[in-house]
Amino acid sequence: MEFGWTEQQVAYRNEVRQALADLLPADWYETYVPESYASDLQVDFSRDFCAGLAARGLLVPHWPVQYGGNGSDDWLHFILGEEMKAAGEPRGPQYMNINWIGPTLMRFGSEAQRGQHLAGIASGKVIWCQGFSEPNAGTDLAALRTKAERQGDHYIINGSKIWTSYARKADWCFLLARTGTERKDISVFLIPMATPGVSVTSFPGLIKDGHLNEVFFTDVTIPATARVGKEGQGWEIITYALSYERVGVPRYHTGLKALELAIARLKAEGRYADPIIRARAGVIAAKFEAARVLTYLVVDQRVKKLPATTDANLARVCALDAVNELMDFLTEFVPDSLRGGATLLEDYYRINIPAGITGGTNEIQLDLIARNGLGLPTR
Amino acid sequence: MDYQLDDNQRVLLSALQTILADHADLPQAARLTYAHYHAGLQTLLAENGFLHVGRDLGPLEAALVTIEAATIPSYVEVAGSALILPQLLPQDDLTGPIALLNKADLSKPHRNLPIAGFALVDMDEDAAVLAIDPAAIEPVETILAYPYGRFREMPDLSRARILPGAGPLLRQWWRVALCAEFAGAVRAAVAFTVDYVKQRKVLGKPVGAYQVVQHRLVQCHQIGQALHYLTLRAAWSGTARDASLAATYAQHHVQKLLFDLHQFNGAMGVTTEHLLHFWTYRLRALQAEAGGVSAAALDVATHLWGAVPEPRTADAPSPVKHIAA
Repeated sequence: MEFGWTEQQVAYRNEVRQALADLLPADWYETYVPESYASDLQVDFSRDFCAGLAARGLLVPHWPVQYGGNGSDDWLHFILGEEMKAAGEPRGPQYMNINWIGPTLMRFGSEAQRGQHLAGIASGKVIWCQGFSEPNAGTDLAALRTKAERQGDHYIINGSKIWTSYARKADWCFLLARTGTERKDISVFLIPMATPGVSVTSFPGLIKDGHLNEVFFTDVTIPATARVGKEGQGWEIITYALSYERVGVPRYHTGLKALELAIARLKAEGRYADPIIRARAGVIAAKFEAARVLTYLVVDQRVKKLPATTDANLARVCALDAVNELMDFLTEFVPDSLRGGATLLEDYYRINIPAGITGGTNEIQLDLIARNGLGLPTR
Repeated sequence: MDYQLDDNQRVLLSALQTILADHADLPQAARLTYAHYHAGLQTLLAENGFLHVGRDLGPLEAALVTIEAATIPSYVEVAGSALILPQLLPQDDLTGPIALLNKADLSKPHRNLPIAGFALVDMDEDAAVLAIDPAAIEPVETILAYPYGRFREMPDLSRARILPGAGPLLRQWWRVALCAEFAGAVRAAVAFTVDYVKQRKVLGKPVGAYQVVQHRLVQCHQIGQALHYLTLRAAWSGTARDASLAATYAQHHVQKLLFDLHQFNGAMGVTTEHLLHFWTYRLRALQAEAGGVSAAALDVATHLWGAVPEPRTADAPSPVKHIAA
């Protein structure tokens, strides 16, 4: 047991930081980050940035060599993700492509699908959105109603998706649709967003622009070859895909960065000497560090190919507590962060408004730990 | 980064668990007490080298042993002996049990004074090693789950052995030690409570089947798990920063842990025969030690973002004028 980084890991982190320094524009933090990583501005920028990363071998390093990666271990991949998040996620939506869409296609995609999509993802030029949630199917994903009806060698898709981040700019949609009457008769389709019958409507909300979109599918006709895996295999595929995301966003990294910004501001205002402020900030830092050690525990388990446990859920519960504390701290001690006075802190706050909902609600995490971790009864 | 125990650590813990399983019984007479110091087990652990593990293997192993020993309802003094002493007095071979005191409140009751052979005293800049004469200690009854006592007369610190400049080091390892005891106690208290809520039925179903109970119990479990690794990281790194982070995390959560764990044990949880208090009232006892959460959190701030600038003296040049010039 040990808690330090290897020389290779330190060197890799420095390499990633150098890439960020080289590839980000001078006004990255002033102009781009406040717009949020789902904004059209950042999504467009991600095509250049990710191509730059790809050229340095830093876009898909954990992928197998045959698909453009170099087979690096999960720790390096995780370090890459930490640094990207801490910098405001300049990969924009492409973190999804890299983390789970690509690996899922490697496992379940046809040879043609792998040939068509993996090179595109590895080039850093392609934008995807995920067509999962629906107005009545979020946490209960199996309740989705978007339907794909087989007609010969085609499917006709009708329905709608909601909360579809990046949909306005996406080239492709990784779509879940119902292909039968049973609850888990679900299949996965790869849909070009330019297909006739696909339309996107954005709507306003508390979080930053680019996340809140609704995607409508009206008599969208696609070839059966657009289906991933077998018909009805969607649940298995999506379970596999989401297992790649089981660590979740390294919220401690972005949180500590935001806290550091807030402290810098408080210092500049001469308020850092206030022991109440410093003690509150110290508690928040401790909570983020708690999330960090639990997250690293999960990464370590993955690196060692240990069976999945509820530790990933614990890490998310832990991080959310810290995020909420920090949002409270910002509004109490840096109140102008929500009044146009600190755009980066406002971005942090607004991105995290749904932190307890995205990627599996906090209540679902708690349920899973209660049943699978503590073995508590259901009745 | 490696979160898995190595073979030596696994063997160490396995041996300790065997001893605890065989010898850590709570005597019937102690079941209705607030605290039970297990002198026999203390001797056994010393004889088998567990209190020497910090010197023989290192602070990480000492923290692992402390955590494990803190899971039993009886109390044995491991944290100070195995974890703090080797760091503070690496050349000495003193053995415990030890008490940990702060110079500012020597007259007050302190944990472990009735069982201690000597005390380590936080003198702010320095630390002191103070021999304890058992006859000089008056036991104090408290619901806190450690043996407590006070000096019948104020001790003469001028006769203590002073460790110049060792105050910060003592506080650092005091924090790691209290976190290790804390982590073990939380693990045991959560396990005890999980077991109880699976059995105890209310309105026709187990208490543990209610979602509101499940979610809060999971939060307690999560706190314990995070603290476990924060503590081990602090022991491994040996930095004051990591010790302060772990102590902040532990001491900040006392209120939630105590309320929820007792709440889910219902009225049984307020009886001494129910055992829960042997762990939860250790947490309460540790809440204010080494400065408590406020001091630990302020130390975190200093470690992460720097100290508070000294106030400007009247004759110092004004930075405003300097900029204007």
